[in-house]
Amino acid sequence: MNDLLPLISRHGYTLLAALCLAEACGFPFPAGLAILTAGAVAAYGDLHFHVVFATAFFAILAGDLLLFSLGRVTGWSLLAILCRLSASPESCILRSAEYFYRRGKATLLFAKFIPGINTMSPPLAGSMKMRLEQFLRFDSLGVIFYVGAYGGAGYLFSDFLRAITRGLRSAGFAAEVIVGVALSIYVAYRIWIYHQYRMLDVAPRVPVEELARRLASDEAKSILIADVRSHGYYDEDAERIAGSIRIEPNRLEEEIRSLPKDREIYLYCT
Amino acid sequence: MAHLLQKEGFKAFVIAGGLRAWRKAGNAVEMVPREDLVKLPTFT
Repeated sequence: MNDLLPLISRHGYTLLAALCLAEACGFPFPAGLAILTAGAVAAYGDLHFHVVFATAFFAILAGDLLLFSLGRVTGWSLLAILCRLSASPESCILRSAEYFYRRGKATLLFAKFIPGINTMSPPLAGSMKMRLEQFLRFDSLGVIFYVGAYGGAGYLFSDFLRAITRGLRSAGFAAEVIVGVALSIYVAYRIWIYHQYRMLDVAPRVPVEELARRLASDEAKSILIADVRSHGYYDEDAERIAGSIRIEPNRLEEEIRSLPKDREIYLYCT
Repeated sequence: MAHLLQKEGFKAFVIAGGLRAWRKAGNAVEMVPREDLVKLPTFT
């Protein structure tokens, strides 16, 4: 925040537009903080509030439209990329989609305030075939609320924000140490989550050549190949390994009952 | 998934590289039957 204030004062609208567009496109940039800061700077007359509002609004809307269009065209592929940082990308997609569908188009009105959903909602709307004019209507309102809330808060509480900035500056080294420690703890936690997830990766991996050889031999009768992709990957022209069955990962307990224990089961996804 | 199946007593393995590797090796694939297709709901 203490570095953002002078930066925004100097480079103003360009920086604001860049940060808002980047966040709307899925990059981890603090657009909310930038809008808050720009609002505070506008209170002191270095920027014009209505231009700050318009800049942030159009930058975010442009990013949302881009992701909406990409979601329309790519379907689940883009969502998989956006969810890649999650420990379980498939669950990330399904959870976001269920959340979105349960609450309908109204999700777009407040999605910007919810971490995770904010980036996922435009491509979800696209992949779930929401009409463009509907998306524009709801998303525009959502962006207005978002920019209005942060920009307005920055404008109204500019003195308070300045006091915080001054306080952080005088705390100086201590503040940097605290932020550094907090960041390190967060990174360590993410690494731990990742390792926990990877530790489950203990099942033996079989090369496709080895499996193909076994399927062409007498051993074929003792082999079962199972597709464990979630239904998010099942487009109309989807393909699977010939002769494989499907195991729905979200209904594993039920599916297990019908699986044979006397055969080797080879699992695959994308 | 494989780990869960192993815990339940199944002999479970993972195909290295998945469907992509299988297809790249030129092995047989088939269209997913219509009854297996499950899509998320759409707004239209």
